[in-house]
Amino acid sequence: MALFADTGLRLHEFVRRPATIVLVLAVPPLAIETYGTALESFPQLPGLAEPARVGRVTGTLFAVAFLAGLVGLFQVISSRSGDERLVLCGYSRMRLLGTRLLSLFTVGAVASAVALATLGLRVDVAAPALAFGVLIIAIVLYGLLGVTVGSVLPRELEGSLVLVFAADLDNALSSDLFDTGVVGRFAPLHHPHALFESAVVSGELAGDHLLPTMAYLIGFLVVAVVAYTRAGVRAPRS
Amino acid sequence: MSPTGTAVAMGAREVVRQPVLVALFVFLPAYLVGVFTIVVPDTGVTIQLSSGPEISTTLGDVVPAVMAPLAAALLGGIAGLLLVQSMSVADRRLLVVGYRARQLVVARLALLSMIGLVASVAAVAAMRLAFAPASLGWFVVATVLAALIYATSGMIIGALFNRLIGIYLILFGSFIDLFLFQNPIASDAPVGAAFTPGRHPLDAAMDAAFGDDVPLSAVASGLGVLAGLVVVAVWVIRRSATSAS
Repeated sequence: MALFADTGLRLHEFVRRPATIVLVLAVPPLAIETYGTALESFPQLPGLAEPARVGRVTGTLFAVAFLAGLVGLFQVISSRSGDERLVLCGYSRMRLLGTRLLSLFTVGAVASAVALATLGLRVDVAAPALAFGVLIIAIVLYGLLGVTVGSVLPRELEGSLVLVFAADLDNALSSDLFDTGVVGRFAPLHHPHALFESAVVSGELAGDHLLPTMAYLIGFLVVAVVAYTRAGVRAPRS
Repeated sequence: MSPTGTAVAMGAREVVRQPVLVALFVFLPAYLVGVFTIVVPDTGVTIQLSSGPEISTTLGDVVPAVMAPLAAALLGGIAGLLLVQSMSVADRRLLVVGYRARQLVVARLALLSMIGLVASVAAVAAMRLAFAPASLGWFVVATVLAALIYATSGMIIGALFNRLIGIYLILFGSFIDLFLFQNPIASDAPVGAAFTPGRHPLDAAMDAAFGDDVPLSAVASGLGVLAGLVVVAVWVIRRSATSAS
């Protein structure tokens, strides 16, 4: 119960800023639509049937995933000293991490609903509930990535650069723009992208990609927990 | 030393004090371009240069040549945004003690030029392992120009929006602009693609990479865009400093 109360406080702090509402409600739809429009002019690439649809599908997944990554990153960076004080007051690190993850999950879920609605305006989504579930997986995956990067690199510029370059690479490798072979299959969003594509196009669960997605999720969770708790050990006590 | 020179020296000292950051300026662009030189298949494609001719080449040459300016621009944009935000308190004090907004923007831009140059050289060096542009010097010029245009855009975005929105816009903006809108593989680009900040630097980069002519007009147009953005940055930073004080 206390975990939800703490999360409520974090969310209240988050939604008090109008710019954040804009970020969640307006920027992902803009990114999705622009992505789709931009890919319409790519007729030459082999295997890229219906480029505009591919662009909107990829844009939707990436728009919400990256948003969660950024929220995770800046939650950890901006609250680092505050968290240390809370630990001194008796809060457990796992509880603090839990509130961070729950609040970014809530923000990501709202952004996912908005993004999916945006996608639905231009593309027939065969299984909306399944597609929404995949978006949730993607936001947890990238949220954990953001928490990990923010814990390891607590300066804004360093953390942002690493997250942005990782996301850019992941986006390009997992987007089906090119056949990137075995390297592309290791991109964190490769399997969620296949799951999302399948949910949107055929309405089926792409079973081959579910297990690798879950493996990534568990792996990222373990790494994020270790990074977050180790960052607390390293942080100077003021 | 002039006030602008002092601001540049102090800013550079602050950056150099963070060795991880300096290492990232080199590593990240080289890594991004390096991965693409490895993974992109050698499929044949035809591209249309802004200077006119159609060139038959491979995806394995085109994609690294596009990624190098993109990597430098992405790094420049994020650095511009966060440096402006992190230095905003100090900048307001400098305005109070007599600095002009123009001097501060020039000082920050000089610092970002150094960062952009480092990132550009790293990105081009990684690209050079797989692909040799027709004119290496002009390609580096175009890459640095892309970094500077995005760094200035980052300064403007940093003065107008919070960091979450700013980074989001720069990531999507640079990818959509440089990798999708301006990609020479693309045909029938949307009307808006002609007005995005990456158009002239990427035209210059592609002319330098695949053409025979020196991309003077594209570079000149890119410098014009940069000058316009600097004027906007001076106005925006002066306005945000005045409204905050």
